[in-house]
Amino acid sequence: MLRVVGLWGEVSAEDHEDGGASHHGGGYKIVQWEWSYVQTPYIIAIWLLVASVAKILFHFSQRFTTVVPESCVLILLGLVLGAVVLIANKKQLYQLDPGLFFLFLLPTIVGDAGYFMPSRLFFDNLGAILMYAVVGTLWNAFCTGFCLYGVKLAGVIDDKVQAGLMEFLLFGALISAVDPVAVLAVFEEVHVNEMLFIIVFGESLLNDAVTVVLYKVYISFVEVGPGNVQTADYFKGVASFLVVSIGGTMVGLIFAVILAFITRFTKKVRIIEPLFIFLLVYLAYLTAELFSLSAILSMTFCGIGCNKYVEANISQKSRTTVKYTMKTLASIAETIIFIFLGISAVDKSKWAWDTGLIACTLIFIFVFRAMGVVGQTWILNKFRLVPLEKIDQVVMSYGGLRGAVAFALVVLLDGEQVKAKDYFVATTIVVVFFTVMFQGLTIKPLVKWLKVPRSTNRKPTINEEIHERAFDHILAAIEDIAGLNGYHHWRDKWEQFDKNYLSKLLLRKSVYHKSELWEAYQKINIRDAISVIDQGGNILTSARLSLPSMASRTSFPEVTNVTNYLRENGSGVCLDLQVIDTNPGAKVEEETETHHVLAGNLYKPRRRYQSHYSRHFMTVGDQERQEREVFQRNMRNRLESFKSTHYKRHKKDRSQKKARAQLHLSQLLLLLTSRVKPTNTQLRLGMTQAELVLKREGCSEENKGERSEPDKDEDVGITFVARKGSETPKERPKSVPAALEVCQSPSVAPPSPTCGEKNLPWKGGIGTLPPCVSVEATKIIPIDLQQAWNQSISSLESLASPPVPQEPQHPRVSFQFPGGKEEEEESALSQQQQEMQPLMPSLRPPPPPPSGWCVGKLKLCSLMGL
Amino acid sequence: MGAFHSVPDDHQYRILSEKTGFSLEQTEILHNRFKQLSHNSDVLRRDDLNTIPDLACNPIRSQIVEAFFDRRNFQKDGNGPVQEIGFEEFLIVMSYFRPPSVHMTEEQREELRRAKLRCKNASTILKVLFNMHDTDNDGTITLEEYRHVVEELLSRSGSLGKETAKGIADAAMLEVASMSMGRMGPDEFYAGITFEHFLKILKGIEIETRMHIRFLNMDTTLLCK
Repeated sequence: MLRVVGLWGEVSAEDHEDGGASHHGGGYKIVQWEWSYVQTPYIIAIWLLVASVAKILFHFSQRFTTVVPESCVLILLGLVLGAVVLIANKKQLYQLDPGLFFLFLLPTIVGDAGYFMPSRLFFDNLGAILMYAVVGTLWNAFCTGFCLYGVKLAGVIDDKVQAGLMEFLLFGALISAVDPVAVLAVFEEVHVNEMLFIIVFGESLLNDAVTVVLYKVYISFVEVGPGNVQTADYFKGVASFLVVSIGGTMVGLIFAVILAFITRFTKKVRIIEPLFIFLLVYLAYLTAELFSLSAILSMTFCGIGCNKYVEANISQKSRTTVKYTMKTLASIAETIIFIFLGISAVDKSKWAWDTGLIACTLIFIFVFRAMGVVGQTWILNKFRLVPLEKIDQVVMSYGGLRGAVAFALVVLLDGEQVKAKDYFVATTIVVVFFTVMFQGLTIKPLVKWLKVPRSTNRKPTINEEIHERAFDHILAAIEDIAGLNGYHHWRDKWEQFDKNYLSKLLLRKSVYHKSELWEAYQKINIRDAISVIDQGGNILTSARLSLPSMASRTSFPEVTNVTNYLRENGSGVCLDLQVIDTNPGAKVEEETETHHVLAGNLYKPRRRYQSHYSRHFMTVGDQERQEREVFQRNMRNRLESFKSTHYKRHKKDRSQKKARAQLHLSQLLLLLTSRVKPTNTQLRLGMTQAELVLKREGCSEENKGERSEPDKDEDVGITFVARKGSETPKERPKSVPAALEVCQSPSVAPPSPTCGEKNLPWKGGIGTLPPCVSVEATKIIPIDLQQAWNQSISSLESLASPPVPQEPQHPRVSFQFPGGKEEEEESALSQQQQEMQPLMPSLRPPPPPPSGWCVGKLKLCSLMGL
Repeated sequence: MGAFHSVPDDHQYRILSEKTGFSLEQTEILHNRFKQLSHNSDVLRRDDLNTIPDLACNPIRSQIVEAFFDRRNFQKDGNGPVQEIGFEEFLIVMSYFRPPSVHMTEEQREELRRAKLRCKNASTILKVLFNMHDTDNDGTITLEEYRHVVEELLSRSGSLGKETAKGIADAAMLEVASMSMGRMGPDEFYAGITFEHFLKILKGIEIETRMHIRFLNMDTTLLCK
């Protein structure tokens, strides 16, 4: 921050006098003016505030924003502010300080870009990106430099511009690099297709190494004088390029590995996870800078490299934190950069205008950019499967924006060595303004006019995810069969390496076994859950809550999205209710439907007390609990509502037989609250949980008086879970007596999750859930059994939160409503449930081929009535 | 099938090259590869493909290999699997993955034909993919078949496999159902993905640009085992 102090040094000197005067006032002052103390952070904060407010104001006008890119407005704002300061002070106090820019502003933007870089797209187009970044930048730099020198010799540029060949080459080097900040700012608003974006943006990031090396080489050449440059120096330049670029990349990758490895162990300290990410990504930048390697490359590759592992390791909340913080920082840094560019332009001491130089530079950079792009694309298209069309080339040429990097580099020049510095600064400012403002302003209409394929902001569907993955494998396989060692072959090899070694090292064990497809699937589900919450706001009105007799789904509110409609009311497709082949009486049917309506519309009541506070853990908020609930419900709907006609036939005969056989069984199993897993051992596990729950029930019956207190019941409500497990019929007879014995057994099982529960494959995800829930529960049992009962339920609930995708053949219905609130309903419901018992098995017909058949189970958590 | 002698002459190469769109060099290279895989015999068996070491880790290996032995992929209205294929069939299946524009010249008439061919190509490759999933050839990918696909895709990722695969396949199927049928009546059922629906769900993926690999004009066969 020292640089910042320097930046505002002018101001501090003035205000120091005021501050000093106030201190000499003598005696004790109640209020003191401590400006000099807070000055620096204060001014920074004010600047940030101004920039942010400017953004808000700017986004007020919808029509304006669609036409004018933000960067233009910010530069204009900067110009105005600069003019104000200039008029007030007669001297420009602020300018974009290169140190501030390179150490603080640029890394925030690059860090954001690198971390959120779509890596697949990036590597798919890496060849083109590298080509444009290295060859293109070299071409631009040399051509611009030489031609400017030629023009100078021809006399177009004024004689006052004292510059030789080396100076012009230096200038060409710094002016030719496409700027990541400007490209991001403009292209993010244009929404060209992803491939085009990644090529231009990737180029702007990767050309940093070229720029850095050229800049340094030429500066050293200028210092020693052009006459003293030896041939060896050129080779040193080439070697330096390799060191700077490869070294930068390596530093980045090393930090990526370190970062990924660290996040593997942050399970207990979730709260500082984001900090690690910021620190290490920033350290990658600084370290590269320390060894004068390419810092941008380092940071970019650190971001790209660590993203996959870090995102998998850290918790969902940390992910959100990282995302928002990075975006906020990048956005504010961008704003400051553009405002300061504007301010810096208003400084008459720096201006040294030469029309010839400026005009020639503008023409050259534009012409050579276009020529370079066309030439390189011609070569690239010989190798690319997807050729770059003419339209793409136009956009790429036109999108070669220059920005703050060039400006910062030119300001860094030593005025003693480079006599024409002032001219170069002025030219750079004009070039930057021209590209950002004029090209930035016109690129949108151009893209529209050329009908460049735009990017769709659509998230991939599950099917697309599945098929894309399949495509990769198919293509790799075809290459293998055809005996070609092509791109897909190597990518496949890399993925295997990653899977076998890297991921093992860098990913948590719990995450390692999850496939990416599963991740994608879960993401889609969470998205759906959120959209259901968003849309379901109206479903959850109190009117609906008090409608136990609401019978038909026709009264469901219209949901605009068809998909959601289907998911919301599984009944729309073919809900279990419609496919049962036994013919239940009309009354029973209505009642069962009521249950489903309740299940679909009631959420678990909120817990009133959230006593847990810790600096290190974050408790599950109500919001999250509800989201999870919605997620589960949503999943249940999804899975349930899909049934192929194929099964219909099987169901008929089977379910009828089963219905009879199951009658008594279901009554016995009625009391099981456990989530029974398909395998035998897991079944036993289920029994222990049942034991636990039954015990609790016994207790709660003892405490019946207590039970009626609404406070305590708040959590419980009625939990009604109908499920089918896929035990084989042989197992069941064994399990039933077990359950009966369990009923009598007096032992109290601790309500904490059994180890079996923890070992279940899908329990890995539990890591993200706070451990405090179960801890809380165990703590409380001895004190108040009733409460413990509540807790154990909730802990079981929370433990079981992610399994839904894993047990897709166990559709689950659970509905709860506050028991204390509606006592009458409760009893009515339990009656209904009793009536329904015989129905239950047939309600949930089994998926015939895979797993034999199923047991319908009712879980009545507060089954005191029975 | 198997109509090819181990050393086909230039003429036969030319016929094949015209039929499949590969260049002569590419045809020759692929023929070398074919001989290498089939151990210099005229026909290729499943085992020959199954034993390619690079393929060993591919989770959907069996489906891809099966595509080479699926009569639907190289005969007009063929049906069912075959035991062995000749070089011609091998080449035809390979040609689905060939980038469409390689062998065409720049002339306008050709251009037009290319556009047509590309269309045809795109749909044929989709057909191949569809056939890959539709194992019983009833024109629909049923839930069972889809589950199988997803299961195999996930088979590399260990313990989660089956259950997850089922969940994912179910959700995906539901998605297709809701996408292609819109609102369904309560007693309607979605039997499976038909080819039209298959095209529909893959509309978002630019299949023409993605499902191709570069066939080299250079012989690299010796490099890989």
